[in-house]
Amino acid sequence: MLRVEGLRKSYGAVAALRGVDLEVPAGEIVSLLGRNGAGKSTLVSIVAGLRRADAGSVTIAGLDVLKHARAARRVIGVAPQDIGIYPIVSVRQNLRLFAELAGLPRRAVAASIRDVAEAMRLEDLLDRLAGQLSGGQKRRLHTAMALLHRPRLLMLDEATAGADVESRAHLLDMVRELAAQGSAVLYSTHYLHEVETLDASVVLLDGGRVIARGRVRELVAAHARTSVELRFDGPPPPLALAGLQGRYGRTERHGDLLRIVTGDPAGTIAEAVPALGAATPRLRSVEVVRADLESVYLALTGHRYDGVEEGAHVSAR
Amino acid sequence: MSPRASAAIARHEFRVMRTDPATILFVIVMPVVLVALMQRLFQGVLTAEGVVGATGAEFAVPGMAVSFVAFNAGYTGLTFFRDHGWGTWERLRATASPGDILAGKVAPSVALSVAQMLILFGLAVPLFDFHVSGSWLALAVVVLALSLCLNAFGVAITAVSRTSQRLNAISSAGGLVLATMGGAFVPIPAMPGWAQAVAPALPTYWAMRGLRGVILDGGGLGSIALPVAALLGFAALFVVLAAARFRFDETKAYWG
Repeated sequence: MLRVEGLRKSYGAVAALRGVDLEVPAGEIVSLLGRNGAGKSTLVSIVAGLRRADAGSVTIAGLDVLKHARAARRVIGVAPQDIGIYPIVSVRQNLRLFAELAGLPRRAVAASIRDVAEAMRLEDLLDRLAGQLSGGQKRRLHTAMALLHRPRLLMLDEATAGADVESRAHLLDMVRELAAQGSAVLYSTHYLHEVETLDASVVLLDGGRVIARGRVRELVAAHARTSVELRFDGPPPPLALAGLQGRYGRTERHGDLLRIVTGDPAGTIAEAVPALGAATPRLRSVEVVRADLESVYLALTGHRYDGVEEGAHVSAR
Repeated sequence: MSPRASAAIARHEFRVMRTDPATILFVIVMPVVLVALMQRLFQGVLTAEGVVGATGAEFAVPGMAVSFVAFNAGYTGLTFFRDHGWGTWERLRATASPGDILAGKVAPSVALSVAQMLILFGLAVPLFDFHVSGSWLALAVVVLALSLCLNAFGVAITAVSRTSQRLNAISSAGGLVLATMGGAFVPIPAMPGWAQAVAPALPTYWAMRGLRGVILDGGGLGSIALPVAALLGFAALFVVLAAARFRFDETKAYWG
């Protein structure tokens, strides 16, 4: 449904995309992952026709988005990262504008509004001013405006940012349902656990390049290792490093961090902490980084993901 | 361009407009109030010019009509800035073509300008003893040409404005210059020589000339050919300027 080839885009001297290839088949959810500045929003905006690429091509349902912009627009539904709604008109009027712009026949507009409002739990709010909605309700309306014509390609950019837990769960359900009905979904997010919830394919962007792609379990199997991270006030003690070297997997020091790759995190903690000796009072925290998508990211980029993720965390003081 | 998409945006702009009826009422009522205040003053001016039986409405009504449409030229721009402020600009661009957006946003502003002037002309008949000696159709054609022209001006000043403050500043100053220097606030013969020389460079001069010909000199469609051609020429110039400078992917800052 969506094919992106060799996409490049720079803003002045800053390269946002450095040759990105991407494919999203019909009925699949592809999650675009990356830290702030990785190029996710630039990629989504080029696919949506909002920005021109410096090089490369984007085709949607076989249509080149530059040569057949109007036809391509009819196929896609896009909810940009920032909430965009008309606050001084009603929820229904917000939805009506985008249903009409999507080219729905006049008789189908009301039915489409009713269906999407029901799916996004907005049916009791249709006649309320959009500006009077809560943050989660606004986010739902913002997303609903992209769904009215049942797009063949749905692009959601940070769709759950700022949404409450209930709205987030509901939105993820909706995304799964659309994909099950045959829509291709490009889902850009900060939140790694959402990707696992959606069972999406992953495209990992870093510095404007795709550094990995595949199913979550494939990526975890290929790249992720559980590790124990010890943080200190000041540099990790040489004693600790010397004492542990060779007894486990790889050990690394970065600033105040000592990272030990291990298949037995509990045993590693039990042995490593007593081995710190005089450095024990400087130990600030001990954290287990499990073999999940976050550790894939860590293994591939050398730095932690900046999305909010839960992990086993033990405070040392 | 898609007429359906433009019409959808235009209907939406009308819905947005209706949420603030006080503003609409203001631009319709204020010219009426000002005509009431200034009619006697212009009666003297017209009588001094040799217009027999002048009521003053013959100048005050078209003058206020043209002035208030000039003052309101920035309204078109506001409709673009609002979308930037509400975060809906990118959504619109992802859904409709630039031409659809432009037509959908400008058409309601043109309709508002036409309604604003025609309502004033209509109310002036019973309220201020206003008479059109020529063709009402010709008067309506001038009104339409002026509305197109000043809304094209509104788009052009939007194109060069990155912030709503700049748009306000340019539209306020521009509206004042267009109204006064174009002879809508002060009759051309009463202006200093240098101002009389400059006046034809402004579209409002041609609007006032066309309206005066219809209202006072019994003019019909033939008499407004030159003024309407001039107004449409200015409109084309503003469209070219806007097309050269308008960047749909530019981020505009909106306050208020």
